[in-house]
Amino acid sequence: MPTLDDLFLKVQKPSRYTGGELNSVMKDRAAVDVRFAFCFPDLYEVGMSHLGMKILYGLFNSQPDIWCERVFAPDTDMESLMREHRIPLWALESRDPLTVFDFVGFTLQYEMSYTAVLNMLDLAHIPLRSADRDERFPIVVAGGPCACNPEPIADFVDIFFLGEGEEVDLEVLRLYRDMKKDGTYTKAAFLRRAAQIEGVYVPALYEVSYNADGTVAAVTPKDNAPAVVRKRIIRDLDTCYYPESFVVPFTDIVFDRAQSEIFRGCIRGCRFCQAGFIYRPVREKSPEVINKQAHDLCASTGYEEFSLSSLSTSDYTKLEELLPMLLEWSEKEHTNISLPSLRVDGFSEELAQKLNVLRRAGLTFAPEAGTQRLRDAINKNVTEEEIFRTVTKAYNAGWTAVKLYFMMGLPTETLEDVAGIASLGQKLVNLFYQNPDRPKGKGVTISISCACFVPKPFTPFQWEPQDTAEQLAEKQAHLRESVTTKKISLSMHDNTTSYLEAVLARGDRRLCAVLEEVWKRGSKLDAWSEHFDHDRWIGAFRDLGIDPAFYANRRRSYDEVLPWDHLDYGVSKEFLIRESEKARAATTTPNCRQQCQHCGAACWKEGVCVERR
Amino acid sequence: MSVANGFYTVRLVFSKTGRAKYISHLDLYRAMTRVLRRAAIPLWYTEGFNKHPYITFAAPLSLGHESVCERMDFRLTDETVSMREIVDRINACLPEGLKAISAAEAVTKASDLGYAKYRLRLSCSPAVLRAFLDQPSILVEKKTKKKGGVKTVEIKPHLKDVSVEDADGQAVLTITLPYSNDMTVNPTLLLTALSAFAGAEVTGEACRLELFDRHGAVFA
Repeated sequence: MPTLDDLFLKVQKPSRYTGGELNSVMKDRAAVDVRFAFCFPDLYEVGMSHLGMKILYGLFNSQPDIWCERVFAPDTDMESLMREHRIPLWALESRDPLTVFDFVGFTLQYEMSYTAVLNMLDLAHIPLRSADRDERFPIVVAGGPCACNPEPIADFVDIFFLGEGEEVDLEVLRLYRDMKKDGTYTKAAFLRRAAQIEGVYVPALYEVSYNADGTVAAVTPKDNAPAVVRKRIIRDLDTCYYPESFVVPFTDIVFDRAQSEIFRGCIRGCRFCQAGFIYRPVREKSPEVINKQAHDLCASTGYEEFSLSSLSTSDYTKLEELLPMLLEWSEKEHTNISLPSLRVDGFSEELAQKLNVLRRAGLTFAPEAGTQRLRDAINKNVTEEEIFRTVTKAYNAGWTAVKLYFMMGLPTETLEDVAGIASLGQKLVNLFYQNPDRPKGKGVTISISCACFVPKPFTPFQWEPQDTAEQLAEKQAHLRESVTTKKISLSMHDNTTSYLEAVLARGDRRLCAVLEEVWKRGSKLDAWSEHFDHDRWIGAFRDLGIDPAFYANRRRSYDEVLPWDHLDYGVSKEFLIRESEKARAATTTPNCRQQCQHCGAACWKEGVCVERR
Repeated sequence: MSVANGFYTVRLVFSKTGRAKYISHLDLYRAMTRVLRRAAIPLWYTEGFNKHPYITFAAPLSLGHESVCERMDFRLTDETVSMREIVDRINACLPEGLKAISAAEAVTKASDLGYAKYRLRLSCSPAVLRAFLDQPSILVEKKTKKKGGVKTVEIKPHLKDVSVEDADGQAVLTITLPYSNDMTVNPTLLLTALSAFAGAEVTGEACRLELFDRHGAVFA
């Protein structure tokens, strides 16, 4: 049998598989009690860019009795070699196969990675279904945003962690260690006890029954598992663990830089945005802590760039305090600061110039909808005037290209709203030619990118049907016809992926069989368009007698039992219903700092919920 | 030592073995940039729109080959840190498989490179290797600079300081090959010719042992 080294020279970018990067953590196998294989169900370049993985990798390895290693989905060339020679999936640090680990943990960042989870388990020679794994196999755990409705992959995972993992993950690993030590460990006993920890959802301890119409009748706990599992949050981000170093990859990855988290949650409450609801309440880190963490990270990694990470940089209340602190050392040390999702508007001229915000932030807007009415309905509080102001500044500074992001298929959307996308683009074109200070001798390009809306759990739109393929096609055609100038370049996403996202995002346990079937038929890296095969999915649905439209295109009533109703993310159903009704009336909701909407997240008595206003 | 134009150039000798042999040339450049930044030595940055440290490698190494004689040049703004200190600080920051051996002010220009010495642990027997080397002529196909162009080159006269050892029936070849702007024969080319001669694929683990200038002196 060939060794791993023999394989490395036969594949593209072998440093994705070798381990040994700067700051990767090696430990003595014999000196640790718990071994954790942290799996990202996508390629190395994607997974290594993910901040959550870096935090948990650092946190676990800061514990002397835990060794956490990294695992990524192999690219197709490596996978076929592994399958040909029956070489099981290994962890990068020790190069040990996953079967020797105590835990195999997946982070679920997007629905289209679910088949990669199955494929990685299979490549590791681990049975896919929880029920088929006895004491000889690792405990399979999963967390991340998709864990807020984990039902479509519930049969494959032993434990889901709901919410932020820094505390609950360690509590579960310690329980495992202690039960192993005192001899009380069996998989069943461990899962029963783990289910008593807040933030732990053990799907095998819940029975799901269905009504004749296919909707969920009830989710019934057994073995004393709690009827409702509440997510966990970190109360104080200043004292919470944050890594002092990141693993620095050799190969180029998507986000190859240091990242400093500045706050969690989002005050905005855009009604389509799941992140805006499931990460509540907003909790900020203090500028002193961010500054120190950023500087330490740059020193330990040698990164020449770092970015401030959050859902909306501009909403950080102490940004004007933080940036000068960062600039003091970053300029000297030739380190660039990147400020994603920044509103260029509110900046002082001096700071804007120092940060070169216009150059860095580029000119990207996400109005999401083409008319003010629809923007009000989705609570995206951006006005045309704000966009015009910033774009004018940019034109004055020599910019000739603007990017706009929109969604299509939003609830209450009409063809008029769709045409509004084109007319907003047209207005920006006109703004350019009306501007006497515009760059001379150059044309303007307005790039419009249009994604398809996917209704998600724990949002006010969780009851909404997704537009059908026919409806979306009609709208896309209408948008194409509404654009009458070559100055606007239009790119519209393929809606077949969004359709499956809509199915999986709000699916129930009956989809586990579909996932397994579609994986058997060859799906494994569905997040990549070159590997995604829509017909394969549709074929699996058809052959199993499951109608995907039931999940994607059906309007739910407010009193239907939703597959995730036994999970509690702090936001109450009553609040989501209020927001849903306001959307239908195209009424906006003030943000958390302007006026509390009593969403429920105040139950933690933290962050913006207790800020003095 | 001289600080002209606001910088002076240091040449680091380092080894690249084990896991590090899978780091491609481009990735090595990126990794070393970060190593030098971590090492907190007074790096000189280029001027202009996109400021970056100045780092070059005299002789890029093929992916999968090991080396104990790599050369990396970089520029420092001043001489406040000794060569010994530079080596120590860099070693404290290097990932597994990379190790700094020595540092000195760069003397020879990269364009004056002449030869490279390799050790190749081969999958064929010493007898096959000797028969291959004893041929009166060894012709290989080499890519030309023109896109898609191939020419046949006689390499026999270019093989220098050849020695063949027997390691449990496997051939170990130590050889010095041309490595210059005019003519380069890399070990992979030799392996291709050897495989054609043997009528079966011959694989080999390559390690570069030393670099020489065009006069045969160690590249300093």
